[in-house]
Amino acid sequence: MSTLGQVKISVPGSIARGSVARARALVIHPNERVERKDGKSVERNYRFVSRVVVNYLGSDIAEFATATSIGENPSFGFAFRVTEPGTLKVTFFDTHGARFEGAAEVKPA
Amino acid sequence: MALRGVTRREVFRGAAAAAVAAAWPHGRARAQGFLANLAPEEPVEKTLQRLFGSRPIKDGSQVITLDLPLIAEDGGNVAMSVEVKSPMTPQSYVKAIYVLSDKNPRPLNAKFNLTPACGQAYVATNLRLADTGDVRAVAEMQDGALFMVKRGVRVVVAGCAA
Repeated sequence: MSTLGQVKISVPGSIARGSVARARALVIHPNERVERKDGKSVERNYRFVSRVVVNYLGSDIAEFATATSIGENPSFGFAFRVTEPGTLKVTFFDTHGARFEGAAEVKPA
Repeated sequence: MALRGVTRREVFRGAAAAAVAAAWPHGRARAQGFLANLAPEEPVEKTLQRLFGSRPIKDGSQVITLDLPLIAEDGGNVAMSVEVKSPMTPQSYVKAIYVLSDKNPRPLNAKFNLTPACGQAYVATNLRLADTGDVRAVAEMQDGALFMVKRGVRVVVAGCAA
């Protein structure tokens, strides 16, 4: 079984400077859903990814607000304009205060 | 089966809404990890009303491409992608993309906030869908204009109470 919080980021191998690339980030996380009793949510210590931040070259370029209606092991595809070689960082925050971070090096040709 | 679920939900909706509103006031997060980060359970019309108020929502079929399978074998994991035609320059870009599922108890699946640095208004994720129904994508432009498209998805095995 994969470990909780493991982040995988896939970036295209060859990217031209100035072009737009698509990347995908995935976190191993149960993204636990909400149970109901008589139509009401049962208050438990639910654990799901509630916020995802995409950072490229030190500035945040996108932010996603998510909840339990994203599947187990949430994965997010997004685009970014490749300007300089540098780090693409994706951070996942969950409702237990945990923070999972992954990074990929972007090397434009 | 689907009919029974809807009826039951209908019956409890009133009581649940009142209790829920009293239990967790919006905007005040209680202990971390509880349900504070969740939107209330409501029909999709109410979510649209809550998010966009009375702002007009235009038909987005010319600008938005919403990619979803016609039949989702597993409602717990449905691949979805949205692409909005936009130059993504500081003068004209897509500020946010909302994804909503009509049949989910909490219809808002996700809100994607974008910036011009994205280069393309493209997002993808794996959704949880509770039942067969429409999935909507709403694009909010930098000037506040709203565009919407929807597509029906047949869900074979429900993603349960998403």
